[in-house]
Amino acid sequence: MTDPTIIRSLDDPDIWVETPATIYDAVPPYPPRTEREAEFYDLRDGEMLLNLGPQHPSTHGVLRVVLKIDGEKVVDLDPVLGYLHRGVEKICENGDWHHAISNCDPLEYVASMFSEAMPVMVAEKLLDLQVPRRAEYIRVLCWELNRISSHALYMGWQALDLGGLTPILYSFIERDEIVEMLAAITGQRLLFNYLRIGGVNGDLNHDFLSRLGDWMSRAGAQLEANTRLLNENEIFVRRMSGLGVVDRETALRTCLSGPVLRAAGVPYDVRRAHPYSVYPELDFDIPTRTEGDSYARYLLHIDEVRESIRIIDQALHEMPDGPIMAKIPRLIRIPPARAWVAIESPRGQYGCYGMSDGSDQPFRLRIHDPSFFNLQAMTDMLPGNLIADSMAIMASLDPIMGGIDK
Amino acid sequence: MEAVGDRFSGPLRQRQDTTEIRIRPQHVAEVMRTVNEDDAFRFEILADLCGVDTGTEMQVVYHLWSALTPDWLRVIVEGLSRDDPRVPSVTFLWNGAEWAEREAYDMFGIIFEGNRDLRRIYMPPDYTSFPLRKDFLLPDDAARSPGEGFRHVEQPHQPGESLRRPVLRQGTSELQ
Amino acid sequence: MSEPVNDNDKQRGGAADPPIYMASDTLSQAQGLAVPPEQSVDEPIVVQNTLWSAANPQAYAGGAPSQITHLRALELGDKSDNGRWSALDIIPTKADYVLDLIRLNSLWPLLSGLACCAMEMISAATSRNDMDRFNMFPFRASPRQADVLIVAGTLTTKMAGPLVRLWEQMPEPKWCVAMGDCTCSGGRYKRSYATVEGIDRVLPVDVYVPGCPPRPEGLIYGMMKLQQLIRERRGHWADRAVGPTVPLGV
Repeated sequence: MTDPTIIRSLDDPDIWVETPATIYDAVPPYPPRTEREAEFYDLRDGEMLLNLGPQHPSTHGVLRVVLKIDGEKVVDLDPVLGYLHRGVEKICENGDWHHAISNCDPLEYVASMFSEAMPVMVAEKLLDLQVPRRAEYIRVLCWELNRISSHALYMGWQALDLGGLTPILYSFIERDEIVEMLAAITGQRLLFNYLRIGGVNGDLNHDFLSRLGDWMSRAGAQLEANTRLLNENEIFVRRMSGLGVVDRETALRTCLSGPVLRAAGVPYDVRRAHPYSVYPELDFDIPTRTEGDSYARYLLHIDEVRESIRIIDQALHEMPDGPIMAKIPRLIRIPPARAWVAIESPRGQYGCYGMSDGSDQPFRLRIHDPSFFNLQAMTDMLPGNLIADSMAIMASLDPIMGGIDK
Repeated sequence: MEAVGDRFSGPLRQRQDTTEIRIRPQHVAEVMRTVNEDDAFRFEILADLCGVDTGTEMQVVYHLWSALTPDWLRVIVEGLSRDDPRVPSVTFLWNGAEWAEREAYDMFGIIFEGNRDLRRIYMPPDYTSFPLRKDFLLPDDAARSPGEGFRHVEQPHQPGESLRRPVLRQGTSELQ
Repeated sequence: MSEPVNDNDKQRGGAADPPIYMASDTLSQAQGLAVPPEQSVDEPIVVQNTLWSAANPQAYAGGAPSQITHLRALELGDKSDNGRWSALDIIPTKADYVLDLIRLNSLWPLLSGLACCAMEMISAATSRNDMDRFNMFPFRASPRQADVLIVAGTLTTKMAGPLVRLWEQMPEPKWCVAMGDCTCSGGRYKRSYATVEGIDRVLPVDVYVPGCPPRPEGLIYGMMKLQQLIRERRGHWADRAVGPTVPLGV
């Protein structure tokens, strides 16, 4: 890293400052910079700092957590983010409104229709654009498919973090099928770049519909089979229930959203609270649980998959004919305005605050990622648990580092 | 939203499903506590907290939601100077605002007074710049940057030219 | 070396490259015209950084040369017996051939999924596209037990330190696969302030798998290419390249 052959490519020399080894050690450089840091790095008798480094099988991506442990029990923790900070918001400001679609894709890389929807819906709101109904139904279809694939990943990954290596293989069968389905219309397995300002990119085709029909015919049975692996598995239940409890007041104070909030008893789902797209016309319930522990979150994910299958069914049957894209010019100049949109992603409320300044570039595109706020619940939930349980609790929050670090 | 209009003396804008109010930094704590706790409002859910650099000033934007109304409330705290932006923190109401304020500090340099943990969250702790400011320019902004045309990426590529080694052209002799 | 074309040699040779003079290219003092150093295929290109200096005088270890072995300017003719193979030194015997077969048939990757490409890496390792068929399933959590570092996902400047540390902790023989556009060249984040534009700035890469993200089949193709590399005794752990490896004429 200190070699002169590394060609600096940006003007700011600070960007490649040799970061002192101390920031990778658990102990920070003295004096501590903030009150909380001083409190955290003040070790009492018997306590130890353990670094759950950026590369770890259980951290979902590159998350570094400095745990203060007393024996095997976690006393406090200090998460360190930023190992995947790519500067998406700054890059969005330098490109078009259309470029923002593919720039925001990797923010939620397991279910990137939701993160793509952000610049698209903000631009449509700023332009007061009416999206054709067929496009709306296609969007809902793709969103729910993405939700199911994301929850399948979650279920597999939750078990993986507990040590079970098999369920992820089952989940990925589901996920690969759904993702191949979406590749039939979007052309891409993961970062779809499918939604456009004013609609979607391509219509449904025979390949997609036949795969979807195949999958739907056995979706229910497959879901039951997959969950039968885990739901009544005594090891799984005992390791998950009662851990990581979030009650209603803590959940609201920590600005949680999504399954974490609904498992705590707050029936807040953006699809019902702030209806967008064609969700008001679709019939589905909001599963809510009251226990607030990891097992409740897991069960909630399964309930949501069932609701998503219902929504897909309805969307397929009620899909109208028509155009899939509104007529907008290629070069979009949005008059100066501000807009906020929010949708319900598998992780929670995905929001975007967009400011336009009259030119064809966004002035500010702020993406609010639910995992970012959900991860803060870790600081309340983890202390008092064993290290191994901490893994399970972190997994039940379903964080995605792409969105957390932007 | 009429209740907000009654209690609030400043400009209030409504567009589609969002009501927007603009306040000064010194009123943040009072306004946030009122909208959070007062029974007429009950804006218990903080949807987002972000910083904005408008080029002339800095702003902090909060988005709130209440179970009593289907609208969003946007609170824009404006008038923060670009040299020393300071805003009272709302972590006393919402713990979850802590990281969002750290992010606004990291990206803009906005100091949230009362945040117990205001350190950089994305960039390394030794980083000295604030990336999302409008005076922090990426290589793509070459045309707007004072060092325009200096680095290789800012010069147009001649066809047939090797990309293997950077070439300094005429006009950069002061570097030698 | 059964293949006539070896990309490493092509980049280092100065013969095919028209001489481009540049001020910082020289170790001798220039009076406006730079003299390119005599470069043979044995010497690596070392670009001295004279364009600017860091604001912090202690940055870059105060200007001291790097101690990281794979980034140190390669001194060929170093006959010290440190057990490191050099491709020019050893004539492979049948035992080496068998050892290569052993290595390539049990490549254990390190779990180094950083971002989106990690999802495709996991997809490549699970049921539908099974990397276990190629004996690459056990993703080791510890670098001490891993052979291959598949860097899947954008490398940021903050993560570069830990990643290089992981690489150094891996015992030899080790290989590195750059998966995804972000690791090959910076990808869609090339203009960002916090990305390392291509991990070949910090690690010696053997196989580049482009794509955003590459399909699992693509990753498996890349791993099979790596196996081919190992069989033919090419690759960077035998002879380290220095600096970004950009093909000529591109």
